[in-house]
Amino acid sequence: MVTNVLLTGVGGQGIITASTVLSQACRLAGWEVKKSEVHGMSQRGGSVNSYVRFSPDGQVASPLIPEGAAGIMLAFEPLEGLRQIGQTAPDATVLIEERRIVPVTVNLEGFSYPEDVLERVLGSGREVTVIAAAQAATELGEPRAANTIMLGALSTLVELPGDAWERALRLVLKPEAVDVNLEAFRAGQELMKSD
Amino acid sequence: MAETAKRASDVLLLSGNEAIARGAWEAGVRLGSGYPGTPSSEILPALKELGGVYVEWSVNEKVALEVAAGASIAGARALVTMKHVGLNVAADPLFTLSYTGVGGGLVIVTADDPSMHSSQNEQDNRNYARAAKVPMLQPADSQEARDLTMQAFELSERFDVPVLVRPVTRISHSDGLVEVGERQDVEPAGELEPCPEKYVMIPAHARRRRVAMAERTRKLLAFAEETELNREEMGDSSLGIIAAGVAHQYAKEAFPTASFLKLGLVWPLPADRIRAFAEELERLCVVEELDPYLTEQVMALGVEVEPVDDRFRIGELTPGRVREMITGERPPEGEPDEDLPPRPPTLCPGCPHRSVFVALRKLGAYVTGDIGCYTLGTLPPLEAVHTCLCMGAGIGEAHGIQKIRGHEAPVVAVIGDSTFTHSGITGLVNIAYNAGVSTAVILDNRTTAMTGGQVHPGVGETLSGMPGRELDFARLARAIGIEDVRVVDPYDMAATEGALREAMASPEPSVVIARRECVLTVRERAPVPELDVETCIRCGQCIRIGCPALSGVDDGGERPLPQIDPALCTGCLMCAQVCPVDALKAPEGSGEGNA
Repeated sequence: MVTNVLLTGVGGQGIITASTVLSQACRLAGWEVKKSEVHGMSQRGGSVNSYVRFSPDGQVASPLIPEGAAGIMLAFEPLEGLRQIGQTAPDATVLIEERRIVPVTVNLEGFSYPEDVLERVLGSGREVTVIAAAQAATELGEPRAANTIMLGALSTLVELPGDAWERALRLVLKPEAVDVNLEAFRAGQELMKSD
Repeated sequence: MAETAKRASDVLLLSGNEAIARGAWEAGVRLGSGYPGTPSSEILPALKELGGVYVEWSVNEKVALEVAAGASIAGARALVTMKHVGLNVAADPLFTLSYTGVGGGLVIVTADDPSMHSSQNEQDNRNYARAAKVPMLQPADSQEARDLTMQAFELSERFDVPVLVRPVTRISHSDGLVEVGERQDVEPAGELEPCPEKYVMIPAHARRRRVAMAERTRKLLAFAEETELNREEMGDSSLGIIAAGVAHQYAKEAFPTASFLKLGLVWPLPADRIRAFAEELERLCVVEELDPYLTEQVMALGVEVEPVDDRFRIGELTPGRVREMITGERPPEGEPDEDLPPRPPTLCPGCPHRSVFVALRKLGAYVTGDIGCYTLGTLPPLEAVHTCLCMGAGIGEAHGIQKIRGHEAPVVAVIGDSTFTHSGITGLVNIAYNAGVSTAVILDNRTTAMTGGQVHPGVGETLSGMPGRELDFARLARAIGIEDVRVVDPYDMAATEGALREAMASPEPSVVIARRECVLTVRERAPVPELDVETCIRCGQCIRIGCPALSGVDDGGERPLPQIDPALCTGCLMCAQVCPVDALKAPEGSGEGNA
């Protein structure tokens, strides 16, 4: 049984770091895992997608999630979440950040940011939870830890054996960032409980 | 994240690039060279981290391959890395290295980029293997990236031939589990003795080597028939698929019970095994990205292959596209998103290139561009880059345009510092030599930014950490014969515009060096400017410099009010400099930044 997690958002939000933590956590749990993303030009403030596929008991072939088969989506920005909703399964679970990042095309090319972005995601039939990760990270005093808050929320859906999540955070993050991110991780778990 | 654990029993999570570095390291590689290029850039830094190997960023791919050829002649195993278009630059040495063969094993990584995630084309470099008559291995995941790189060194030495390893973006930038081993200690073999009939390709020698190559190809063909690099995976006889690399993974995902001939060696191909595989099956499909490279060779054997629609020859495959290719069944469509604002890549907030493009646009320049972040200057609102062809091309193009349109034509070449050292210098020599008058702007941000911030000769630091000699662009331009050389700080927009105006008006060839460190490598940030709402006339000038930190908010006024996102702003103050009424200013006496 392969679990497919799609992480989506905007370049600079720490999506690749988050997907690396998730992948390392799977490895440390002794699971099969593959992760795929794109570096280079697309990362300059553009849309970013990362695909993580894992299985406790089998092989993963394709590094890309088959179309429409993401069982879990972690959306770090509402518009990007809406853009990728068709890549999720009809019964997918979606965790979506509420804070918007307005693309430059809105200012310069006459596009408008859809006011009903969250309503459209909520109305998609998926199991959707809106998460104020950016706000919670700011309250923790470390706005850059919003990605770890999202991972904390994800950890309530992906139960890895032992302390794999914590070991992965310690492995991937810079030592000086570990404490605040462990705090952020727990804050993300709490956000899911209070929901 | 690179991991450096070296115990034999370890299973590591490695990207394809890290796994290639690991394979080369375990194979006892002594020298790694290359030029950064997505998706290949992480291989050499990973090799450096593993330690014990001399590594360098060479000035371009041709030089990198020649350096590695030297190491190979000296008896050591050598690795060269580049992106697909880099092999065009290195093609000259490649084709004749196939004649000379190698001393120590020589492995060339060409990382292809189907779908052009970060490239100007999506050429299929499998064609190089056939054209140069050198073996090519194609890994299908990170484990194979390590394993095949190790085997590439063995093949290189066994058959006296450089060997190509071709990952694609979805191998280079995908992570997977890799079982690793220890490093072999491979000492350079023998003395450095002249062997002109092997290494001096005068026609008399080359003609003999050409015959030896044909004999080598016969041996490689026999090897392809027996090697476990190619693998039959027999399943249902109703559908057989021939595939290599990541395309095999997509096909396996889409048709888990089909029969597969999985090719690890994609040149030369095993004719007998292909025929034998085809005989077992009701339907035979070839699944491959880009050119019909395998398809045409399989069909040339007289084997019947199901036709594939041409649209599958463009861009990356996916599991859904492979299914559609074979069954006609379309993958599930996403919801229509035509009304969603696109989010293209942009120049970063605080990018020093921005002011050069603002000025060039104002001056009405026709700008011949080049390869790097600054190519994004072609997008709205700057729209100030009018060509992008290949590394170094902008300088030659500017010269050619001016030879046709005259000296007064407002043509300016822009080129990054790393790209300039890669292949801009020769173009500049050409302008000086051929009585050109063009203006070349070197966007000197002290790094190779697009590919992740690699060092280069203009910086003076080296990948190995040893100090290098810093290339002085101004002195170089003067040595070439260009006297009109100006150095400006692009954060000073008036000075930048003035220098460009004068250089363009000059009857001589000229060089403007716009020097300011890349905003991604500078840690400290200046205070965010404050907007005086009373003074602001909502003219939109600041928004039209295209800074992602600036947006217009509708507050009920006649036109949108500028708003700065403090999380993105770096305090470069370009917005303040274009404001006609001084409504944007650095906060007075404030020492606070947003770091």
